[in-house]
Parts: sequence; structure tokens; C-alpha cells
Amino acid sequence: MKSYPRWPSLCDAEPSEDLEDLFENAPCGYLSMRPDGRVAKVNRTLCGWLDKQPEEIVGKRFRDLLNVPGRIFYETHFAPLLRMQGFFNEVALDLKTSDGSTIATIANASERRGDKDELLFTRLTIFKATERRRYERDLVDAQSTEREARLRLEENNADLTADVAEQVANRLLEKQNADLREQFIAVLGHDLRNPLAAINAGRRMIEKSHPDAKTARITRLMGESVTRMSGLIDNLMDFARGRLGGGIGVEIRHGDRIEPTLAQVVNEIRSSHPDTEIELRFDIPQTVDVDHARVAQMFSNLLGNAIAHGSKARPIVVDAGIVDGVFHLAVSNGGEAIPPAAIERLFQPFYRGDVSPSSQGLGLGLYIASQIAEAHGGQLDVNSDEIETKFSFKLPIT
Amino acid sequence: MSVVERNNIRLHGAGDRTMVFAHGFGCDQNMWRYVEPAFRHRFRTVLFDHVGAGHSDLAAYDAAKYASLSGYADDVVQIGRELDLQNAVFVGHSVSAMIGTLASIEAPEMFADLIMVCPSPRYIDDGDYVGGFAADDIEELLASLADNHMGWSAAMAPAIMGNPDRPELGEELTNSFCRTDPEIARQFARATFTSDNRADLPKVKARTLILQSSDDIIASEQVGEYVHKSIPGSRIVYLKASGHCPNLSAPDEVISAVAKFV
Repeated sequence: MKSYPRWPSLCDAEPSEDLEDLFENAPCGYLSMRPDGRVAKVNRTLCGWLDKQPEEIVGKRFRDLLNVPGRIFYETHFAPLLRMQGFFNEVALDLKTSDGSTIATIANASERRGDKDELLFTRLTIFKATERRRYERDLVDAQSTEREARLRLEENNADLTADVAEQVANRLLEKQNADLREQFIAVLGHDLRNPLAAINAGRRMIEKSHPDAKTARITRLMGESVTRMSGLIDNLMDFARGRLGGGIGVEIRHGDRIEPTLAQVVNEIRSSHPDTEIELRFDIPQTVDVDHARVAQMFSNLLGNAIAHGSKARPIVVDAGIVDGVFHLAVSNGGEAIPPAAIERLFQPFYRGDVSPSSQGLGLGLYIASQIAEAHGGQLDVNSDEIETKFSFKLPIT
Repeated sequence: MSVVERNNIRLHGAGDRTMVFAHGFGCDQNMWRYVEPAFRHRFRTVLFDHVGAGHSDLAAYDAAKYASLSGYADDVVQIGRELDLQNAVFVGHSVSAMIGTLASIEAPEMFADLIMVCPSPRYIDDGDYVGGFAADDIEELLASLADNHMGWSAAMAPAIMGNPDRPELGEELTNSFCRTDPEIARQFARATFTSDNRADLPKVKARTLILQSSDDIIASEQVGEYVHKSIPGSRIVYLKASGHCPNLSAPDEVISAVAKFV
């Protein structure tokens, strides 16, 4: 048997698109409003979203599908817009469902006008926009987060700028202070030393032109005063350097023996104090890297103190050596113990113990000595009891 | 920036008297596009945008000044002085009816006639007074606006912000007549919907006409009648038009009522 192609039935198998069905079950909501704003027609899709029957919507005002804020916004923004441009696009509307919740939608609307330009219907096409609204909310949140972050950043920048400005100002002030300090020290050195040098020169001239014993005694005393005053000026300058910020500078010389430096100081002291007995215990088998002039200054100060405050009945003992990689230089003398309260303040500037008026200085000697010790990375300590008072400078050398 | 640029003032028509049209919360001076031209043959007409709306100068927006309607009223008085207005007609839609009220009290010689389209001196119910909204409704509105997703796609908001210097781009934007910077919209909404100008109404000396729409959820008949009773010698005309914007939905009816009054 011959078979024929079944054209007609094939065509029948293709369902033809039904416009009524397209309207009712389109994948978007359709709604038409009469000119008075009441709903004329609504499709099944939108009814489904709102969980309402068509008769619950038709004849009601469209705005009643919105919540109160939505109504205000609709009346003040979208209704005027429709009248002005005949349409609106991509407007976000929250529609109320039968259970009182809302669904987020995006709506387009256009007016349908008649032959005489009279308004017949306003048609709305409505899309669910839950996800989109969420993205928009995220975007808004991100924007406000970004704005806050930017504000914070600007604040931080402002703070930072202020900090930098303050630091620059401080540096400038430090620089000005340093300049002032140098100026002060230069003035101190120049203005005090020059007249002293003139006095000393005059003293020598008197010494030469009047070679009698009485004059010699007077000029010798004058010489001692000049030496003492010169020492005070040195101390004052060191103090100024140390206290006004620069610190006492040391210039370390490498590879030189320290013993000759110490011996020279002892010789100088012996020549000016011939009655004082000084016992030396030097055992310095290797070189010590120090600022020799500064160590000499410190040592001279310690010896001077020992002579001024120690008992004449006992010798001053100088012990210098290296034990376990630590160089030590100790000066000890007999006599009364220094009271504990005085020991605490011994290394502070302008501290003067109970000494006779003739030996009064500025109270800077031990302060400067301790500063010199620190500037070398070492330290100066004191131990005092009824037997002896001992100042020790200790400096690690390895 | 001059007042003319700040408020995007547009002048048309000619006549012995001047008629100033003020838009309300929501849109801009385009609200008057079907009404204003009808008066050009008898009046010099003035259209303007409140600061923050339309093509006003957004840089002039000062949150403190515009926190209350008096800030907007001050601008109206400034506009009047700039244009040397005397014996003029002020036509205010919605909240601008109250802005005009304040301006006419501030400068009584400026406006002889006050025409209020859909006015409300207070939107929130208060005891026996029915404004139409509960305080919670307005809070909800303000909160929605603060959320910045009310009405418009948030993603499109930057387009509003981006174009204040290039109004020609704004023209190409659909919906542009009623777009506002979201922050400004929120503050204008607060100034509008939390206002209470009931005590100012009896102080109005200008001849006053109230145009009352039917079925207006923003300003109900009850509210219109309250305004009418509170302003001595005022007239009220009930329009057939429904909704809050009869100037757009029924311009002929509005034109005829205004023309009869002036």
C-alpha cells in the first residue's frame, strides 16, 4: 500500500498562537487604566503575582495596588510624567499582594489616545524585579559604603597632612634650637675665654717684671684661679652641648694605648698637688678605643674630686685594667662615706655636696663625667662606705 | 550665580501684570506646559524651578535653608524682587500653594492674587484636622526615599547627578521632568509632608482662589475647604478633574477657572 505524506495533520500538530492567551498568560503583567485611573483590564499573570482574582482588581484604582508612599510618589511623579511625555519607562513600583506583602516590579507605561487626542487608556507592562531590586540595593549600599570610605580616607589624609606639617614644624624648631645652641656655645667659649686669656697674659707679665717672692705667691694663686675658671668654662660648654640636645660628642680613636693618657693626667695632678699620694695599679695589656681627651677629662675630674673630698691620711688609688673584656678605671679615696641620699643625686647637674666654699664648683663635674661614660657606651658608678669611696668607669671592649 | 540662573527662570508673554507659576514636589516647571501658554497674551508669565528640581542650579542647594518651606518662600520673594514684581499673580501647585502663602505674607505688595492648585497646609492628621495621612505613612515615605530605591531604578540615579552642567543631555533622558537627586528629593519630601502652615492662612491678604480636584489623595476636598475657611474672603472652585495634577490632566478646566478669577 502506498503511503502519502500527512501534511494536514502535521500542520494541525503545531498549535497556533492565541492572542487572548498571549495577553492572559504572557511572562509579564499587563494592566490597562481608564482615564480616571481605574483598572479596565488586567491579565492572569499579574493576578497570579498579586494572588487576586481579576474582579478584585478591575474597577479599582490602580494606585490602590500601591502602598501609601508608593501612592504619593505615583501621584507626584509618574502620573504627571505620563501626561507630559505620554509614557514612562523603567519605573520601580512595589505592588501589594492579597496577604499584605509587596512584590518588587519594574513598569513601563504608555497612553493610548483616540482620534481627537483624547485619552482612552493607559497601558502598563509590569515585570517582576525582585533580583534586580536586590542588585540595586546592593549597588546603593556599595555606593554609600564607598562614600563613607572616601570620607574616612579624606579625614585620614587631612590628619596625616597635619601630622607631617607638625613634624616639619618640629624639625624646623629643632634645627633652630640646634643653631641657637651652637651660637650659645660659641659665645660662651669666645666671650668667657678671651678675657680669661687676657688676665692670664697680664699675670705672666707681672710675674716677669716683679720677680720677688711676694708677687710670685700672688701670681701663682691667680694662675690657679685662672686654671679653675678655665675648667668651669669647659664644663659649662660641655653641659650646654649635652643638655641643649646635641649630647656630648666623642671621637673614638682606634688602636692607641690608654695608659700614656692616664699617666699624663696623673702627672698634671701631681705637679699641682705635690703633697698628695697617688697609688697607681695599671694592668692594661691591650689598646682601648676611646676619645682620649674625653677620658682624660673624666679621669682628671675623678682625681680632682678624690683630692678635694678624700682623707689626706690615705693615698688615692687608681686602678685601671681589663677583666673579662671590660675595661675599668677606678679612683678610690678614704674618708667619710657619702650619704645614700647624696649618692642618688651625685650625677645630676648642678648638684653640690657639703663642701668647703673654696672648692665650690658648678656641680657639673660628675654629671659631665657620667655623660662621657655614657657617650662611650660605658657607665660610671660609685660605691661609698666608711672605708673608701670608689668611682668606677666600666667599658665593654669586645 | 544670579537668581535667574539659580531658579532657571523663563519669561514669556507680555502684559501689565505678571503671573508666576510655581511647581510642587515631584516634577519641575513643565507641570505648567499646558496652562501657562494660555496666559501669555494677557500677562507676562514667569516659570521657574525650585532649587534642587529641574534645571535649577544644584550647587545652590543648601540643606539647612531648604529644610523648611520658608527657604523656598525666600527664593520666591527674591525672584519677585529680581523681576521687580508688584501686584502680580502667584499660581502655586501643591506644596507651592503654601510656599506662595509664605511669600505673600513676607512681601504683601508683591502678589495681589494668590491661586492655589490642590493646596494643603498640613498633610498629617492632627486631632480633628484631617490631613489625609498618618504620621507613620509619611515616615514610611521618607524612609523609602532614604533607601533610594523609591520610584526609580537606583542604577539610573547617577545619570541624574551626572548632568546638572549639561542640561541638553537631560532632555534626552526619559522621565527627566520628574527626576531629582535622591537626597534632595528626600529632603524636599520632608519639608513638604511634615509642614504645618495652618496658622499662616489667616494672615494672607492677597485675593485667593483655591482650585480643588476631585479624588485627590494628596489634598482632599476636606483639606481644600479648610484652606478656604481659613483665608478670609477666599474663593474655592471644585474641578471635575480628578487626581493631584489637574494642570496636566485637565488643563482647560484649570485655565478657565484661573482666567475667570484674574
